[in-house]
Amino acid sequence: MSEETKALESMIGEEYKYGFTTDVEYEDFPKGLNEEIIKELSQRKEEPEWMLEFRLKSYRAWKEMEEPEWFNATYKKPDFENLLYYSAPKKRPTLDSLDEVDPNIRETYEKLGIPLEEQKMLAGVAVDAVFDSVSIFTSFKEKLAEAGVIFCSMSEAIKEHPELVKKYIGSVVPARDNFYAALNSAVFSDGSFCYIPKNTKCPMELSTYFRINNMESGQFERTLIVAEEGASVSYLEGCTAPMYDENQLHAAVVELVALDRADIKYSTIQNWYSGDEEGKGGIYNFVTKRGICKGAHSKISWTQLETGSAVTLKYPSVILQGDHSIGEFYSVAVTTKKQQADTGTKMIHLGKNTRSTIISKGISAGESNNSYRGEVKIGKKATGSKNYSVCDSMLIGQTCGAHTFPYISSENASSSVEHEATTSRVGEEQIFYLMQRGISEQDAISMIINGFVKDVLKELPLEFAVEANKLLDIKLEGSVG
Amino acid sequence: MVNVADKQSLKSFVDTSSAEIKYFESLREEAKKLLEIRPFPTKRDEEWRFTDLKSISNGYFKPIIKDQLDTALNLDEYHLPEAKKSRLVFINGHYSQGHSCIEGLPDGVIVDTITNNENHPKVKEYLAKITNYTDDVFVPLNDLSFNDGTFIYVPKEVEIEQPIHILNVFTNMEVAYFATPRVLFVGEMYSKATIIEEHVGLAQNQYLNIPVNEFRLYSGAHVHHARIQRDSKQATHISRPIAMLDAHAEYHSYTICLGAKLFRNEPRVIQNAAEVDFTVDGLVLIDGDQIADTHSIMDHRYSYGNSHQLHKVVVNDQAHSIFNGKIFVAKDAQKIDSFQENRNLLISDDAKVNTKPQLEIFADDVRCSHGATIGQLQDEEVFYLQSRGLTEQKSRELLVYAFALESVESMAVKSVEELLLREVIAYTNRD
Repeated sequence: MSEETKALESMIGEEYKYGFTTDVEYEDFPKGLNEEIIKELSQRKEEPEWMLEFRLKSYRAWKEMEEPEWFNATYKKPDFENLLYYSAPKKRPTLDSLDEVDPNIRETYEKLGIPLEEQKMLAGVAVDAVFDSVSIFTSFKEKLAEAGVIFCSMSEAIKEHPELVKKYIGSVVPARDNFYAALNSAVFSDGSFCYIPKNTKCPMELSTYFRINNMESGQFERTLIVAEEGASVSYLEGCTAPMYDENQLHAAVVELVALDRADIKYSTIQNWYSGDEEGKGGIYNFVTKRGICKGAHSKISWTQLETGSAVTLKYPSVILQGDHSIGEFYSVAVTTKKQQADTGTKMIHLGKNTRSTIISKGISAGESNNSYRGEVKIGKKATGSKNYSVCDSMLIGQTCGAHTFPYISSENASSSVEHEATTSRVGEEQIFYLMQRGISEQDAISMIINGFVKDVLKELPLEFAVEANKLLDIKLEGSVG
Repeated sequence: MVNVADKQSLKSFVDTSSAEIKYFESLREEAKKLLEIRPFPTKRDEEWRFTDLKSISNGYFKPIIKDQLDTALNLDEYHLPEAKKSRLVFINGHYSQGHSCIEGLPDGVIVDTITNNENHPKVKEYLAKITNYTDDVFVPLNDLSFNDGTFIYVPKEVEIEQPIHILNVFTNMEVAYFATPRVLFVGEMYSKATIIEEHVGLAQNQYLNIPVNEFRLYSGAHVHHARIQRDSKQATHISRPIAMLDAHAEYHSYTICLGAKLFRNEPRVIQNAAEVDFTVDGLVLIDGDQIADTHSIMDHRYSYGNSHQLHKVVVNDQAHSIFNGKIFVAKDAQKIDSFQENRNLLISDDAKVNTKPQLEIFADDVRCSHGATIGQLQDEEVFYLQSRGLTEQKSRELLVYAFALESVESMAVKSVEELLLREVIAYTNRD
């Protein structure tokens, strides 16, 4: 093993920094999953009848389905009978200011370095913080309301904007879509709802921080973003979770709807606990994310930095239905230790002159496995469409694996698809060159890796880019950062 | 979960009852057992997702008995001048001595049937030992049914100058039949050979062609292997060519697909020692309702391997091309340099392409890359040629011809190159 590899491996062996738990009392709720549980869940959340119907229908669909096994990962399947499907902090006050938030929770946020208050205010970010399953704090509501933007928790949206939720929920990711989406549709706890009215540019970046904090509580977030004609929004989602031994399941569903000329940008940083050196513990991240460019000239862009979780199965996709619509996917996936990530995207071209771009960068180290799995499909009617994909992998050490599974299909002669992929490592010459310029080995490696992922990180909103850089530093550069 | 019980077995489509069990009894017995337990692939299998074998499962194929063959058949037009005295001819899978000609090869070289060399130590060592297709029904079917097969043995440091032409012709019979051509090639250290393997359908009839090739190259052995598939456009062709390479061996294969209604090719190259060099190129020219499917594996198991794959495809009419190219690099197989390129040209509105280039890498110090494109002729290029006085039709034909040329030029044998150029012109000039 070369010196560089050793140095890299020692950097990557960085312990999870955000491993701590917060003592907050939880409401009691029976374990297990059946129709009674769903009724109880729906009742506690004071949901209308149609929502309960949606959940029950999804549950029945889920019961018929089999857990998928086609992906490139092995893990102990979750015991769905032994999960808690509802958890909410016991005290649920209505808040006027941050001071009223449980001090323990606030402490958690502070440890995470989330500038919930002034910092975000200065940065102009409204935060809908989701602690476990129930939203406990929403800010900037008034400013958003002025612009006509609705940004609230899903539970609230179901009560206050039922016509919107009813119209769009399940319209992009149907309940029967896949095993985990069906499960989510049946038992989703809470999440965010966002509606941008016609010709409105959302006045600030919207952001939600997810935390998993209750042992054995499966987290089933449900997010729905609707951008009306000519509307635009940038949405940020970031995740960290405390250290636990039991594998925790996270099966979220995110749906985006973009109408004529609408523009949705969805950015994610995911840094959930990935398990210890032996691969024990860690989050299962089985998320269904999909957007539909319903209207002409609409655009949906996914950007993700995936560094956490023991197992990640995640394919943020875009259905390009409207003519001239645009889909983008920018992703950096870093796996270390025994992490397994099978992630990628789907670009389904249905409308004429649709465009899609995929830039995926995978870094694998330790004993991890990193897979890119993507599908680009150009339908018969999607004439004049174009796709461009690049998926590059970098391997660090000799015990990890990098895999690329791109499915590409085209059914018309006026469209074009270009796909390229490479696998390489941090070159010794590159390190040598930087070192002879007086840069330390660690900095040299960090510069090379930053250069490798630059194309993706530059797509993140500024506030997030800082955090993303910090995270990459932590993950790949030892204690620096 | 796929229930094995609800899949039909190959036996219900293919009559293997009268297969000759004269030679290699234990191999045939083993194959028979495998055929009984292995299910027939369906579209629910990942590897067969885009390729429907209904054309086989809806038919029924009988084996041909040697006595039924037309030995007076005139095959002069298929002879290659370079291989005048190094030609083996098989008619519907049976060896035809009268059409074959093997003369003046270097001492120790064997170019003969496998059955004539039943007790040759290399036949015993390698026959049916190199194929590694898991859960496959087509190799066992070939194992069970192949009649004579080709055995080529090149001794140490011997170079065969003339190309060896293995000509498989398929005639029009009254029944739909199946044939199982077989090749076993063993090249000793630093030997050199050129193999032209050709499959030609003489009529437009229905048959099922299932060739299996096993190539074993010792250290420093060098093989150029051209495979030309000109089967009947009603035929189904399912190929299993595999090569295993020792240190410093070089194996370059070029598969040209022109015929068959359904063509499924699964070339594999296994690196059996460090420092090898291989090529798995392909050219596919299809139209009408043809389906051409290539599933290749470049399996790097040791360090210092160079490999290259250029798979070019032109799809016209309602034809459908499928490509899945896997590059495997095992743990500790460092310094691998592997490149794969799949270029697809769609020249009609109903043509369809599915491609899945695939990398599975477990070593860090490697350079592996792949590229895949699906597109059409550039308007600028067509315009440029038109501005030189060509009609639009002619311009397009010329550009498709140029696209295919790169693959044809890799042919080491002049007459094969000329033959393929004629085929390319016939494909591009449709009116």
